[in-house]
Amino acid sequence: MSKKIIINGKEVSTDVDGNMPLLWYLRDEVDYTGTKFGCGMGLCGACTVHIDGKAVRSCITPVNQALGKKVTTIEGLSENGDHPLQKAWVEHKVPQCGYCQAGQIMNAASLLAENPNPSADQIEQGMQGNICRCGTYNRIKKAIASAAEKMQEA
Amino acid sequence: MSIIKLTRREFLKTSGTAASGIAAGGFALGVMIPTQATAASSEIFEPNAFVHIDSQGKTTIHCGRCEMGQGISTALPAAVADELEADWSRVTVLQAEGNEDKYGPQATGGSRSINIMFEPMREAGASARLMLTAAAAQVWKVKPTDCYAENHFVYNKKTKQKLAYGQLASIAAEMPVPEKPKLKTKDQYRYIGKPVPRHDVGEVVVGKRTYGIDTRVKGMKYAAIKHVPVYGGKVKSFDASEAEKMKGVIKVVNIPRFEAPYGSLGGIGVVADNTWTAQQALAKIQIEWDRGPHGVYNTKAYKAAMVKQVENPAKPIFKRGDLKSAFDNAKVTHSATYVQGHLSHSPMEPMVSTVSVTDDACEVWASTQDPAGIQRTLGAYLGREPKTIKVNVMMAGGGFGRKFKCDYVQEAAALSKAVGAPVQLAWSREEDTKTGYYHSTSAQHLEGSVDDKGHLTGWLHRSAFPTIGSTFDPSIEWPREQDLGAVINHPYGIKNFEVESGHAPAHTRIGWYRAVRAIFEGFAFNSFTDELAHKSGTDSLAFFRNIYRNNKDPEQKEKVERSLAVLELAAEKGEWGKKLPKNHGLGIAVHHSFESYLAMVVHAEVDGDKIKVHRVDCAVDCGEVLNPDGATAQMEGAVIMGMSLALYTEVSFKDGEVMNTNFHDYPVLRTNEVPPIINVHFAKNDYKATGLGEPGVPTFAPALTNAIFAASGKRYRSLPIKPIYA
Ligand code: FES
Ligand code: FES
Repeated sequence: MSKKIIINGKEVSTDVDGNMPLLWYLRDEVDYTGTKFGCGMGLCGACTVHIDGKAVRSCITPVNQALGKKVTTIEGLSENGDHPLQKAWVEHKVPQCGYCQAGQIMNAASLLAENPNPSADQIEQGMQGNICRCGTYNRIKKAIASAAEKMQEA
Repeated sequence: MSIIKLTRREFLKTSGTAASGIAAGGFALGVMIPTQATAASSEIFEPNAFVHIDSQGKTTIHCGRCEMGQGISTALPAAVADELEADWSRVTVLQAEGNEDKYGPQATGGSRSINIMFEPMREAGASARLMLTAAAAQVWKVKPTDCYAENHFVYNKKTKQKLAYGQLASIAAEMPVPEKPKLKTKDQYRYIGKPVPRHDVGEVVVGKRTYGIDTRVKGMKYAAIKHVPVYGGKVKSFDASEAEKMKGVIKVVNIPRFEAPYGSLGGIGVVADNTWTAQQALAKIQIEWDRGPHGVYNTKAYKAAMVKQVENPAKPIFKRGDLKSAFDNAKVTHSATYVQGHLSHSPMEPMVSTVSVTDDACEVWASTQDPAGIQRTLGAYLGREPKTIKVNVMMAGGGFGRKFKCDYVQEAAALSKAVGAPVQLAWSREEDTKTGYYHSTSAQHLEGSVDDKGHLTGWLHRSAFPTIGSTFDPSIEWPREQDLGAVINHPYGIKNFEVESGHAPAHTRIGWYRAVRAIFEGFAFNSFTDELAHKSGTDSLAFFRNIYRNNKDPEQKEKVERSLAVLELAAEKGEWGKKLPKNHGLGIAVHHSFESYLAMVVHAEVDGDKIKVHRVDCAVDCGEVLNPDGATAQMEGAVIMGMSLALYTEVSFKDGEVMNTNFHDYPVLRTNEVPPIINVHFAKNDYKATGLGEPGVPTFAPALTNAIFAASGKRYRSLPIKPIYA
């Protein structure tokens, strides 16, 4: 079996136990600490990354499931931190503590990839799995809507 | 969260400044920051602890207060930059390490950062600017008054020549530190009062902001912990043989309870090569617990007992006027009992710290609200001088009062000591939920009287809750006068008024939670006032207004005026009295806490047991607003935390153990339930700037339950409205 993962465009070979959650592999083994731990049960979305472009909760996704695939973390979402969502997050001054925001952005990016023109309801539904204890929800929704608009124009 | 009340004299004493003979910048308010005379040959200008400018003009501003999302590491440094006339785009903000001698009080809570550090930090900036100006004057051989500083340059008024801050750094370093720098007037502000973006927002959105959990130290190991599930319990026995056999497991450590207010509850820790291995190994350990004296704690029964306490005569604490005759002569009398459960802070980043203990040094990297608390606790634990403990204050992924207590740091120290390497201990969400320091559960019984003119004439307030004091001194079993101070001094000024305290011994660790007692006190005051208004057939706004206007106590004049002003502002902006569809209602509440004033109007819709909030209008008086966007964000967050606790969050105990575990059974508000409109309106006045991290929380729940009553006639007196464990 292939023991390689492509993380943010770089091929990485791994020999860890395939049951290890991708979250801890990313954080502790290959030092992509942008992906955060919040609950470990798929309840909060802080650990959201992409596998082949689709949002997954890395805390409940074993490394096995990522073998041979492309994993994208917040560090690799864009080359220069200029993904329309990242720009919208800055513009709308979304973060408070910021701890949940990598997961929020990764989840939103996958949402927009699937549905480039989401309605307010669809944004709300798509983001329900991501908790922000600081309460930045309304700014997040505004930022997603404005990023979607910009992406449509582009 | 008022924990440390340092007077100016105490600070001088503890800091040693007064005796040390170091030139002091002469700070006006409660805090004095020692200045550091830099070596004359230095290329670097470092006139005080906060400001650092190099020969390229690169400017670093240190923030001594801890950042956990409240934006203090932008608000205070922006104030320094303003007085310094620095170009904000050339400023780097650094979180200062734990050192109260150098940076002033760092225990970050009680919404006090702005109150105590705003002026001292501005003075640090102003004095640096004056030294740069003096340096330029020396170069041009003119008087400093012929020069002025602007946006990282000093200009010569006459010749229009200019010198950059970087060019002036080494000369400025030799200038005398001004005695009492004059601060800018409001019209001169460059950043204060403006929506300056957070200094680190760019790092956050690319995943580069490093939080406590992101600490990486050479040679460090990773750990997990399972605590004694009951406060005061012990590990009776454990079998770690399976765990110890696992690849990657370094050591299983029995951590005994450390009997200090911020010490470990005790438990079993596992140190391994990575967090996951540590967690897996921990799950394999068979542990038998001795549940100890609090194994009987059951919150359902406890709340019932508190209610019984407050519905009967209790311990008198305060008395004014003649309550009995107020009731005898009343047109309307009414009584009600309000109950609230324990709360867990549940910041998104759980308790995490990294500690390295060696024979001669101890270094800590932790998300914390109180670096000096870590120094004290580890000093006591390791038997070392607290100041030898080096504390790197990391960005906290939320705190809300929880990260004041450093049990998770002391545990990491115990583990580091046991394995002889730096250890990062990350609590699981379950441990965070089950073994925290909880907001007090409470019961309050109120009785009130209204005369035939609709005036409030009498108020009895009986309150029972386990106090925060009990965490420090378990013999405290009743709310004391000091715990009831905000009730006694509530700016109603009712003529006939009694306050009583009910017995409520603690069976768990009680801690500060964002807004602390103001949460349940604000709920009781505002709910009961609304009830009395309805009982006496008066519009709620008019009834509130009337109470405040009737308070003629000269000592409460300012409080009354400011409370009234936010009440009117919220009512106006929230369109109090507007016509609403069936099943919709408006609720209003006003509360003063942490030196700020808040009022809210909530527009709710009730359909069976479905509750929807359409809009919230917040009126805020925190004096001078330093960063309107940051202040608005704090209010938005407070509304959402207020709504979480009004609807859902409660920590319940059974047989001494917390039943909740994670976000499925401790549900916090999610995006689909958030009020779509949260308007924040600031009162305009000239009062001194006060904090806003907490004061927004208390008004939401009562404004909501008052709105629910208006919409449906149903009165909720127990929070949360929809408990998980009823
Ligand atoms: S940490 Fe993965 S969903 Fe919460
Ligand atoms: S910004 Fe703090 S949890 Fe979302």
